[in-house]
Amino acid sequence: MRGISKAFPGVRALDDVSLSVDAGTVQVLLGQNGAGKSTLIRILCGAHHPDAGEILIDGRGVRLHSPADARRLGIAVIFQEFSLVPYLNLAQNIYLGREPRGRIPGTIDHRKMHEEARRLLDGLGLDADTRTPAHELGVAQQQVVEIAKALSQNARILVMDEPTAALSDREIARLFDRIRALKQSGVAIVYISHRLQEIFEIGDRITVLRDGRNVASLAPSETSVDGLVRLMVGRQVTTTWRERFCDTPGDVVLEVRDLHAANGVRAAAVDVNAGEVVGLAGLVGAGRTELARAIFGADRVVSGTVRVAGRPLARGPAGAVRAGVALAPENRKTEGLALMRSVQDNVLVAGLQTLFPAGWYRAAIAARAAADVISRLRIATPSPARLVRFLSGGNQQKVVVGKWLIAGSRLFIFDEPTRGIDVGAKAELYGVIDGLVAGGAAVLMISSELPEVVAVCDRAYVMRDRAIVGELKRRGSRSDNILTEENILRMAMHHGQ
Amino acid sequence: MASEGRAQARHYVRSVPGAGYLLVVLILVFALFGEGFATLPNFLNIGVQGSVLLLLALPMTLIIMSEGLDLSMGAVLSLAGVVLASMLMNGRPLWVALAAAAGVGLAFGVANGVLVVTLGLPPFVATLGTLGIAQGLALVLTGGQSVVGIGDALPALYESRIAGVPFSIVIALLAFLAFWWMLSRTRVGSYVSALGGNREALTLAGVHVDLFHIGIYAAGGLMSGCAALLLTGRMSAGHPTAAIGLEFDAVAAVIVGGTSFERGNGTLAGTLIGVLTIGVLRNGLNVLSVPSSLQVASIGVLVIAALVVDSTIAALGRPAGSRP
Repeated sequence: MRGISKAFPGVRALDDVSLSVDAGTVQVLLGQNGAGKSTLIRILCGAHHPDAGEILIDGRGVRLHSPADARRLGIAVIFQEFSLVPYLNLAQNIYLGREPRGRIPGTIDHRKMHEEARRLLDGLGLDADTRTPAHELGVAQQQVVEIAKALSQNARILVMDEPTAALSDREIARLFDRIRALKQSGVAIVYISHRLQEIFEIGDRITVLRDGRNVASLAPSETSVDGLVRLMVGRQVTTTWRERFCDTPGDVVLEVRDLHAANGVRAAAVDVNAGEVVGLAGLVGAGRTELARAIFGADRVVSGTVRVAGRPLARGPAGAVRAGVALAPENRKTEGLALMRSVQDNVLVAGLQTLFPAGWYRAAIAARAAADVISRLRIATPSPARLVRFLSGGNQQKVVVGKWLIAGSRLFIFDEPTRGIDVGAKAELYGVIDGLVAGGAAVLMISSELPEVVAVCDRAYVMRDRAIVGELKRRGSRSDNILTEENILRMAMHHGQ
Repeated sequence: MASEGRAQARHYVRSVPGAGYLLVVLILVFALFGEGFATLPNFLNIGVQGSVLLLLALPMTLIIMSEGLDLSMGAVLSLAGVVLASMLMNGRPLWVALAAAAGVGLAFGVANGVLVVTLGLPPFVATLGTLGIAQGLALVLTGGQSVVGIGDALPALYESRIAGVPFSIVIALLAFLAFWWMLSRTRVGSYVSALGGNREALTLAGVHVDLFHIGIYAAGGLMSGCAALLLTGRMSAGHPTAAIGLEFDAVAAVIVGGTSFERGNGTLAGTLIGVLTIGVLRNGLNVLSVPSSLQVASIGVLVIAALVVDSTIAALGRPAGSRP
């Protein structure tokens, strides 16, 4: 792949990126969340079309109009999101779209399909019956089926997007054996992983992406885990967005102890104090949203305690809201806002109880409260009656904040608050967060953007595999517990264990 | 191994839709209390009455598995029946008339598919629209009157028996076998399940997903058109409103048979059981002289009861600790 560029509305995902892989080698592709790895892979498998650049196979330029084209050219991909069909059995899933043909035209040779699926799964160490529907398998087993599906295509170019994310050590060892065998037979492999150790075990070349550009291409022997982390983070630009950071936190607002939740969160302990912005960092899928939902009562808690201002929370989101907890979800458009209603309706919806305790709606009070929030948060809207749909992303996010301000919340949980909004709007939103903590509220912020965590948070917890693995402070006592991008990445990526 | 045996048992318990158990119970109850229920002529009668419904419920199963819906089937069937009867009345040969009826059905099916797949309309809305169009056309063509005087060829064919089995049951069984073969022996089964379960996976597998998806709706229209053969044959006439609401029975049969609107889960055997259960319930209540107004409510009760039994079985059969 040479000089690939791709832009999405508002984002330049890839800028002049090149990637090459020789037959019989493993090319590792490395980068932070949002560095452009997934976009590059989707272009390689024909699901996206590049704005510029070319793809060459055996030195010949090819055009990939669809996934079918890519497949015909011998490109197979193991996707991070599972591409299994829940109610088809394992053999049907592995051979979906490429079923072995029976003697009568149009029919499937079921026996051959199951025999070959059996052989593939045996090679990967999965002894599940090939007649089991896929939805009955666990995540790790589904991942193995996914790998078998890609292997079954006898591809010449095999792309693996975090194949080991859900696997146990034993399964990983099996997978690496298969990869070595594939190398022997001349298959070219592109390998994406966040587990840096295994890159040194399996990789022949490493290409690092950052912000949609190539930053390095090197051999594993030329670098180290620390060196790779530095390349992924890049030059240290220390911009801070806060007026001043919180040196003397106030009372404990949120206290989470030994929280286990049905969504997989384990043994979480979190403290957030009044006046503090606390980050929740980690890679996509580390369980940050799940932790936030468990705290908010949106997902079932199995054991452990969540206290707000010293009192245990009542069950469910209603209990959290009554105790003054606000959640600004990741998908603000579907979970946080009523897009087809006005700004005023949206900011008032959570605060109706507070504003009208008697249950009697009074238009004058409602209008005053809405106008107050609009001016305090500087929501750019021509009028309170404007439909939220027509606001920019940053202003929509402010409406979500405003909704909880009126409700009188004192703990704000933000899930990726600046996703998809431009730089100017981000700065405004950081100002809003700064204003919230200055007013004595506490903020817990999930963010996948490392610079943002470092620039905005007073402290940060780092999560991996649905558990908190460390805490970083602005003024750490040792070099490895100071809040820096390197330290976050190191903790998030399974290093030093 | 004991646990393996239990897993096998669990598998079998779950592979029978809840309606299967209900059907057995219903048959036992009606046989005990309904005079003349458990006789061969009555069972054949249930089969004859269920044959048209099965022709609609088969493609409806595929459509619902793909997370879609076709509300136009009853109206399209009525229209096709009127077309068939009119052509027979004008002295055309039976095969020409049948081809015309099937063509009308196919056209509506393709239209449904294009509206849903190509234009992205919600299936409920798109097929509600074509329902209105088909019903309106049927009324316009006939002026609201029945089309009679269709000659002897079709009624004679309909009354014929093959090895003692009524013609309509033979046709319904053939249709069932054809669909079953298609789903279990060809790629169609995998693709239908993938459409509802993981459309993205099917796209990435390089399948022409849109075309295939339209094809499912086309099959629904085609089967509605072909069902006119049995409907018009039974009545020896074309009624413009003969099959109103039959699509809801078809949906009920599919749901009772254990097919769900989500994730591409469903079986044709379940649908057959669903059709039989509805037929047995109707017939049994008739034998017991239950007023027809109450019979309408009974279908509603049946649908809900089948779903409750299904979710109970699912809860019992699920291995401990796994998520649904």
